[in-house]
Amino acid sequence: MGMLHNLADLIKIKKDKMTILVLGLNNSGKSSIINHFKKSSEQTSIVVPTVGFMVEQFYIGMSGVSIKAIDMSGATRYRNLWEHQFKNCHGIIYVIDSSDRMRFVVVKDELDLVLQHPDLCNRIVPILFYGNKMDMEDSLSSVKIAAALRLENIKDKPWHICSSSAISGEGLGEGVQWLIQQMRFAMLNNKNAAKSRSKHSK
Amino acid sequence: MAGAPNWLHVDTAEEAPPPHLTTLTSCMALSDVQCDGYVRLLAADISLDNAAEEPTATLKVFRGLKLKHEQPLPGIPAAIESLYIDETEPKTPVIAVAIAESVLFYRHLKPYFKYTIPAQDSEDLELEVWRKLPVVKPSAHPALLDSLKTIDHSKLSRKSQRLLQMGEQEREHFIATHKDSPVGRVGNIVAMCCIKRISSDANPPSHLVLATDTGHIMILEPQGFNLVYQGKACDDETAVPSLISVQGTFETDFCIVVATRNGGVYLLRKSQSEGQEIFKLGIPLTGLLLLPIDQTIIASTMDNRYLCYSKRGKLLYQVPMSDLPVCLLPLPLTHLGLTLVAIALRGGVVKFYLQRYLVDEFVLEETVDAMLYGRMGMEDHVLTLVTQSGGIVVKILRRVSRFEPKAGDLANKRALGDNKSIVDASILDKPKKSSIFVEQAAREKQQAKSTYGSFQVELWRLRHTAARATIDAINSSESTISGDLTHAPVKLSAEVCGSGPAFRLYLTVQNLSTFKMASNLVVLLHADRRHYTIPQTLARLPSVLPGVPLRVDFEVVAVLDPMDKLPPASLTPDNSLIRVMLMKAGQAKPLIAAAISMPQSEAAF
Repeated sequence: MGMLHNLADLIKIKKDKMTILVLGLNNSGKSSIINHFKKSSEQTSIVVPTVGFMVEQFYIGMSGVSIKAIDMSGATRYRNLWEHQFKNCHGIIYVIDSSDRMRFVVVKDELDLVLQHPDLCNRIVPILFYGNKMDMEDSLSSVKIAAALRLENIKDKPWHICSSSAISGEGLGEGVQWLIQQMRFAMLNNKNAAKSRSKHSK
Repeated sequence: MAGAPNWLHVDTAEEAPPPHLTTLTSCMALSDVQCDGYVRLLAADISLDNAAEEPTATLKVFRGLKLKHEQPLPGIPAAIESLYIDETEPKTPVIAVAIAESVLFYRHLKPYFKYTIPAQDSEDLELEVWRKLPVVKPSAHPALLDSLKTIDHSKLSRKSQRLLQMGEQEREHFIATHKDSPVGRVGNIVAMCCIKRISSDANPPSHLVLATDTGHIMILEPQGFNLVYQGKACDDETAVPSLISVQGTFETDFCIVVATRNGGVYLLRKSQSEGQEIFKLGIPLTGLLLLPIDQTIIASTMDNRYLCYSKRGKLLYQVPMSDLPVCLLPLPLTHLGLTLVAIALRGGVVKFYLQRYLVDEFVLEETVDAMLYGRMGMEDHVLTLVTQSGGIVVKILRRVSRFEPKAGDLANKRALGDNKSIVDASILDKPKKSSIFVEQAAREKQQAKSTYGSFQVELWRLRHTAARATIDAINSSESTISGDLTHAPVKLSAEVCGSGPAFRLYLTVQNLSTFKMASNLVVLLHADRRHYTIPQTLARLPSVLPGVPLRVDFEVVAVLDPMDKLPPASLTPDNSLIRVMLMKAGQAKPLIAAAISMPQSEAAF
């Protein structure tokens, strides 16, 4: 009976829509990554800098999941808008330009501000890091990026980092599969926690 | 330092060859030379290592902190600027390098023009000497050179100066080689900066402001290479400009502040080309700024002081420094609405001042020789510092940075007042904000939401009252709902039953209030006697409870002609009305007044 119950929960979650928040500095490739996941008829050939934020919808056929992606702008003056979307998201994609070494310190600072926000620090939200632009000549590997940003200090949230190239699409599918799986587990845990609370109140 | 630091330190340890520079603040620039949106650091690397040869300089271009391009320069530059000269798209910045008497222009890092400032008038005696030197015998040369020495050395042309420094053996060859060179004194460019032509946000075209060692100030229009402004700092020939700062736009108005080597500071405007002395110090200056917003002049001096003057030469404040200020830099933080002043002291301390107050500081390992602030790479708000040994340090401003005066700074200001070397009794050292003002401002900030909400509630209540009073005035006689505020709101509806000549009129009175009782009500029916007869026209009503409608009925009999049993001919649909008035006992004004159209009466048989 327990196994059937969990199976029913999984099947039910499969039909849910998932909201992903896409963060990162400007010119790191966030909109290009989202553009790659869209349908061929909806893809744009030229990606312009994002102003404010954009909401995109796409469907991951392999997992049968409908994704709503909130593509935030990474310019300095628009990073203040990130925190208004923290309540609504089920997962975060953090895009890092692996060839821009000078700004790794900014990436780390903004990431710390994201993780310490009250809307996120008490929630289990999986974070997927894309080390984008891996095809560039002087890009860093994902291991070095994780060491530079000290990602091992993130204890309360599941995280994963993989190198990617938004132009060729390499590494993108693997990362998003991990994120979808983690979001399912997180939503299941949240549902079980809610059930425990209601049962306890009776 | 309270809280997190405002600056993020960029680690340069991973760069394979560590970046190395020997440069000055004026020889650094930030430019998008490749037009790809990535702003690169350009700097002149001045090499003084080889003592035998003359110093050389190389223009280096960094992408991030990685050296990407090197361009040998034909001399030691005085200044390097990046500017846009036209409005064509895509906008390509032009690099201007001031070397000796020329400005070299590079586009796409390739030389494309060289501009030389016009020569001065030469001395007649110098012309005479050079006319004679090639033709007379070498034994007569010392006499001619002695006459040449009577001229001020700074007024001689360059070849005369070199001739006077030569030994006897080299003179004949030098004279034979340079006898046809023009005799003329050309000033050297000692300072250069940009001034925007018009006020615009997106890379407007700019002009170049040049200062020469002869004291001349020129503005060069770099598209057609015309001099559009010429001025002179001061008439004193010994006052050689060393520092320059410009604010404003060329088309509107601008101010140029020039500091000379003997400590004088002069102001030039668009409307006047003669420099006006603002103030004069007895010591040389190490930095000079004209700040944009408050239009004050900031100077750092060699006796370890940081001074602020108004444009009229009044000393506004001064701050003693713990060591020699080496480098002075404005930091326009437009996203915070501030303009900070960064001062690099000998020993490695870098302090940031907002007016006279220290708001931030950090310490490096060694003295900072050059600083540069602006957009670099893809990031805004990047501060680049070059140390004495040639190391490059990059600091990036945090998005959540905060610049506030230190807690003890206000108290120290009074204590330091006794140590002022310059008496400035005109400046009153009063507190900036009283405690009551600070508390009130903080309270307003904290309770801004409730204050606004309370104001909005009162505003809507006032509007509601006004609207209700307006409705009362309009509908006091004709309404189905009473509007008297002193009484409970009452609704009146009517129904006529029967086919005539006898009718039954039913009135329904309903109390709309939720808590108030409608009492002392009187109903009055009024009709034309020629058409209708009402046996009972006045009725006193019992109290009407909220939510419980009261139903009252009256008999109305239509008047018929006795002869033919028909309604009178004077009865028309227009005047077949019965007026109903609901009044309060003892008052003449009705709460509700309504008119009921009666149906046509049938004949009595």
